[in-house]
Amino acid sequence: MQQLLQQLINGITIGSFYALVALGYTMVYGVLKMINFAHGGLFMWGAYIGLSGLSFLIARLGHGGPVIMAPVAVIVMMTIALFGVLIERVAYRPLRSAGRLAPVISALGAAFILESLARNLYGASWKTYPPGLVPTGRIVLLENVRISGMQVLVLAVSFLLMAALYLFVYRTRIGTAMRAVSLDHEVSRLMGIDVDRIIATVFLIGPGLGGLAGMIVGLYYGSFDFTLGWVFGLKAFISAILGGIGNIPGAMLGGMILGIIETLGAGYVSPQWKDVIAYVILILILIFRPTGLLGERVAEKL
Amino acid sequence: MLRKILLIIFGVMLILSLFAGCRPREAGPIKIGAELPLTGDYAYEGQGMLKSIQLLVDQTNAAGGLLGRKVELLVEDDAGDPGQASQVAQKLVDAGVIAVIGAYNSSATEPASVIYNQAGILHITPSSTATRLTEKGFKRFFRVCFLDDRQGLFAAKFMKEVLGAQKIGILHDNSTYAQGLAEHTKRYAEELGLNVAFYDAINPADKDFTPILTRIGGAGLDAIYFTGYHAQGGLLLKQTGDLGLKLQWVMGNACNNPELIQIAGVENAAGTYVTTEPLPKDVNVPEAKKYVEDFKARYGEEPASVWWMMAAEAFNVIRYAIEQTKSTDPAVLAEFLHQAKNINGITGPILGWDEKGDRLGTIHVAYVINEQGEFILHPQQPSP
Repeated sequence: MQQLLQQLINGITIGSFYALVALGYTMVYGVLKMINFAHGGLFMWGAYIGLSGLSFLIARLGHGGPVIMAPVAVIVMMTIALFGVLIERVAYRPLRSAGRLAPVISALGAAFILESLARNLYGASWKTYPPGLVPTGRIVLLENVRISGMQVLVLAVSFLLMAALYLFVYRTRIGTAMRAVSLDHEVSRLMGIDVDRIIATVFLIGPGLGGLAGMIVGLYYGSFDFTLGWVFGLKAFISAILGGIGNIPGAMLGGMILGIIETLGAGYVSPQWKDVIAYVILILILIFRPTGLLGERVAEKL
Repeated sequence: MLRKILLIIFGVMLILSLFAGCRPREAGPIKIGAELPLTGDYAYEGQGMLKSIQLLVDQTNAAGGLLGRKVELLVEDDAGDPGQASQVAQKLVDAGVIAVIGAYNSSATEPASVIYNQAGILHITPSSTATRLTEKGFKRFFRVCFLDDRQGLFAAKFMKEVLGAQKIGILHDNSTYAQGLAEHTKRYAEELGLNVAFYDAINPADKDFTPILTRIGGAGLDAIYFTGYHAQGGLLLKQTGDLGLKLQWVMGNACNNPELIQIAGVENAAGTYVTTEPLPKDVNVPEAKKYVEDFKARYGEEPASVWWMMAAEAFNVIRYAIEQTKSTDPAVLAEFLHQAKNINGITGPILGWDEKGDRLGTIHVAYVINEQGEFILHPQQPSP
């Protein structure tokens, strides 16, 4: 019983990473009906920029402490958001009227470019975050159920970000405009919404959050390499589909469910079988709910 | 008329080309290949191994080369990947190397060894220890490292005799090397009367091992032996600490480098045992001392890993064979090595090789990681 509780804590932690990254996929799909495969790459770049920023500050200040994480986090979000807007402007906007296939290929291309750039600029070896930045203590809930300070931090930051995003999309004017654009570009334009600007905003927020997630993953696991984007990107993409792509609470739910299924599969059967178990369940869910758990069946546009 | 002239030119060229084949081969440099993981998970090892080989190649050339010819080192990156390993192996063969040092990991060495064997090239792996690599009957394939089945026996003895363990676990990562070592360890542990209560594998592409660690934590093991590579080994140690679990980790000889400790964090790595060939700093032969000194002088760092030294040893063996036989014919060199006895190696005396190409003897020892994050030779070793 205690082990099950511990496994659920493990699963929710993994799931919150998937959820954070899944938000980026789902937001872009919501407004453009396009899978932004470059999102995993942007996430991975967040880990690298975070590492560079922290190393730079530690070298300058001569010491490191949790305080320096905040400015670095802001820099990471801004830099990756800029990357995102740039990719949208250069690789996606010119192809917006070119059908569904061309932008997907363009996105895959952007993903490969981001990965190769990281490998060539930072090298292919494993990078490790400087030690002593994150809380190392842990809270003992029960005799054999513990939650580490870092896990608490990860969960708190993830839920705060997701809640903030949810409120932004459902309670502000820009958020309302985003939802309008996700329903219909032309009608939104007729209603006086600057569609291009809304799309650019989406590419500011999604990658910004993804970049921050990359930095948090780097801090949490301590080490990573340039393939980070594929591993988490793929799982996050699946989380987004599982929850109902285009739906923000769905991305969070999908991430959590995938994280927990994987953890239980690895913990009670074997890590070798966890992907098989996870994807069998995923396929079953999609057979019964093809639009994902929270996805709605929207009438096709005429 | 034109046809006649063309015919004559063609004929002359044909005759000349016959002589081209007879041109003495000794004219150019002696080409030796190095196939290593310079990128990817094992880049730390691959880069260090390359430095070691380059050091010896440059020393050899500075001393006048071999048989009056320069040594030319051709380097290819296999990234530790079996597919890429086959491609670059073919590239080295096409470039006309007489011998190849490589690869690092057994999964990459296995496909490459088939290509080198077909091409009839002398192939020495410094570090691929999976037993089945030498089961294919290749006459020109050798290793300067030692077999995993001996390391498995050593690890089982160490856990039983030194740690006093009764109930142990074994964790691998499904790679050729790690699975082989895990199977051997399991077999010997059971022969020695240990209870192997946990046996499973991780997926090395994962980052989060907390689910399996939580299960291991609940299994009540006296010791757990991880047979995979250091990137995952470091994460396992770190996450064991993060979860607040008290596990007695023992790790195999792909975890014997400082990057393991960097990834794990010193506080999480301390107290971990590692079964391995002795580290360069602990090998007490003059050849080893010279190698360590020369390496430090040139690169300003210690040769930190066993495999860097093994890579130097592989080149040393090729050089020795060429000097002794006065030949660069892979067939002659391979025949010589099969007969060779008691070579003064950089990694200690080389007793020789058996008919499969496996190095005779064994030199495994156990290290412990101390509170400062250093590998210290453990004062207690199991019976030989």
